[in-house]
Amino acid sequence: MSEANTVKSNGTLRLMNGKKYRGYLQADETGAAFYRKGESEPMVQWKYVRLHRMDSIRRGGTSTQLTVILKDENRYIFDLDYGMKLYSFMDQHWVDKPVVPKTRGDELHRLAELRGEKIQVPKKHLITRRHPNRSIAGDIGIYLMLFLVGLAMIFPLVFLIGSSLKPLDELFRFPPTVLPQHPTSDNFSDLFVTMGQSWVPFSRYLVNTVLITAVGTFGHLVIASMAAFVLAKYDFPGGKFFFAVVTTCLMFSGYVTGIPNYLIMSRLYMIDTYWALILPAFAAPIGLFLMKQFMEGLPTALIEAATIDGAGQFRIFWSIVMPNVKPAWLTVIIFSVQSLWNTSAATVIYSESKKTLVYALQQIQAGGIARTGQTAAATVIIVSVPVIIFIFSQSRILETMASSGLKD
Amino acid sequence: MQSASFVSRYLSMKRDRFHHGLQQAKRNKICYLFLAPYAILFFTFFILPIGTSIFYSFTYYNILESPRFVGLQNYINLLLQDEVFLTSVKNTFVIAVITGPVGYILSFLFAWFINELPKWLRAVAVVVFYAPSIASNAFTVFSIIFRGDAYGFLNSLLLKFGFIDAPKLWLTDPNYMMTILVIVILWMSMGTGFLSFVAGFQGIDKSMYEAGYVDGVRNRWQELYHITLPSMKPMLLFGAVMSITSAFNVCDVPRALCGYPSTDYAARTIVTHLFDYGFSRFEMGYASAIATLLFLVMILCKKAISSMLGRVGT
Repeated sequence: MSEANTVKSNGTLRLMNGKKYRGYLQADETGAAFYRKGESEPMVQWKYVRLHRMDSIRRGGTSTQLTVILKDENRYIFDLDYGMKLYSFMDQHWVDKPVVPKTRGDELHRLAELRGEKIQVPKKHLITRRHPNRSIAGDIGIYLMLFLVGLAMIFPLVFLIGSSLKPLDELFRFPPTVLPQHPTSDNFSDLFVTMGQSWVPFSRYLVNTVLITAVGTFGHLVIASMAAFVLAKYDFPGGKFFFAVVTTCLMFSGYVTGIPNYLIMSRLYMIDTYWALILPAFAAPIGLFLMKQFMEGLPTALIEAATIDGAGQFRIFWSIVMPNVKPAWLTVIIFSVQSLWNTSAATVIYSESKKTLVYALQQIQAGGIARTGQTAAATVIIVSVPVIIFIFSQSRILETMASSGLKD
Repeated sequence: MQSASFVSRYLSMKRDRFHHGLQQAKRNKICYLFLAPYAILFFTFFILPIGTSIFYSFTYYNILESPRFVGLQNYINLLLQDEVFLTSVKNTFVIAVITGPVGYILSFLFAWFINELPKWLRAVAVVVFYAPSIASNAFTVFSIIFRGDAYGFLNSLLLKFGFIDAPKLWLTDPNYMMTILVIVILWMSMGTGFLSFVAGFQGIDKSMYEAGYVDGVRNRWQELYHITLPSMKPMLLFGAVMSITSAFNVCDVPRALCGYPSTDYAARTIVTHLFDYGFSRFEMGYASAIATLLFLVMILCKKAISSMLGRVGT
């Protein structure tokens, strides 16, 4: 084994008959080996090519497990001190990964063999397909429909961006165009001029919105995650009932509870403060819901192991659970940002200097047709933030949403 | 005698269970500590409002004077005398019945279609379909598209091709308002539920499809019915809850597009009615009665849908 590219970690090897051996696992580009403590000859040794399946690595935490199943069904379980590093190293050089058939012909052959038939399909096929039982006509239909509906979905947004870049004469041209012929950023600069003339500068609205969004989202993330953690991982009286109530409240948006909320906030002297927006956002049911569903997917063994190691509940939460649910963070963040960023808050905030961007947008809009360009520019500014966040965090968000199902 | 012993046995069982629960609660003290911040806020801003609105719905309350108990008067006025409320109920139901189920089915269908795309295209398609709902203020652009004069995009297009000879007042003519609203709300309906569906499709075990193929599933519709739908049930319920929410809480769109109040109240929904009474006229008791009715309707809807979905696979 070459010394340069070798990774090793101390740990315990557990065999299927329950025997345990202390030692270290060492891996390089060609294979891996387990050495018992104090011995120079490897106890188990294999090349990656022979490796049939490798799974169940528990990331993070104090005990990291790596299971190796060889082709002869021998199963080796390693409890390693630094399993993550070893795992990614082995994964990188592991050559016997399952081979994915590339063409429709291959796929049909493979599936026919599964059924025990022989079929006459040309081995090579021009179209690469993921599913064998799909008609080409249906595929074309779906692509066409997605394309057309997609166009319809995106059209208003394109029109919006187009309008924000149009000079005044093009905004009122007959017949109107979707895209500007002579794009200009006049509307954006006009917007800042108009807003600069009002006695509350535009930047003030922006700062308000950013502040409310940032504080509200951060607090929501921490508070909802704490609650989600105990609801997902501990069984205590009242927990299930509480979660059922939260699930029902998923339906009640801010509009329906607007009036009584106003009454309650006025009792708490929160009207016309940022808290009127921030505190309800802390308790948004959707964040708790998604977080809890995602945390249920975490292996309970991870928490049990940490408990045995003597970690307190708060430590488990902060240094084991939270780092493991990062995809859910992003999802909770995007939903919270989306609702806070888009809030107009006209009902609970009266002071001009505390109002939000969307409120400013509504005011510009009230300026009528002459402000069309500026309205479009302001809308583009407001809309772009959540969309951009979504674009960059899409895969993580989808990972979380996969556990969003409601069981009744 | 027998019944007495039964009662005492039942009571002792209850008592044991209560003590057991108490012990468990004591053992898990720290859990309540974790739950407390959220629970307190949640109670204050979600449970308490529901209680408050039920309480105030039986009173006359205008914030300045202390609430006066009026019994069922608010509900009687609401259901029997307030014609605008009936209009708003009608509008809300038209919107909810069209955009709720249609939006739901479309979300599902497009999530399914998108799932058939190759990976990079799928990412683009998800953004395209989800953008309108995440950019929730973008709907204001429809006030340009459907503007009532000849410079409005739709009007000028129709004028140019000679379908109409004078511009239509899309957003102020009661004849067109609801149609426009339904279109705009449908445009925005690919929301959280849609995202959940997309993720659900990706999460289905691929080997089930393989097994299905071996067992003779011949086309995509069979695959959808026999394999996909049963494994998506939880997402379907979640999506349904989300579409009930958005279908009944229509408020911003009509207010921004059709004006507030709209011509002849033709675009009034229950929630705008509630806002009108709550924040313009400060008749909090009356507004609370509206809110209470809305809570009831939404809970009933959810119950109906979950029992319907429960029957789907069986």
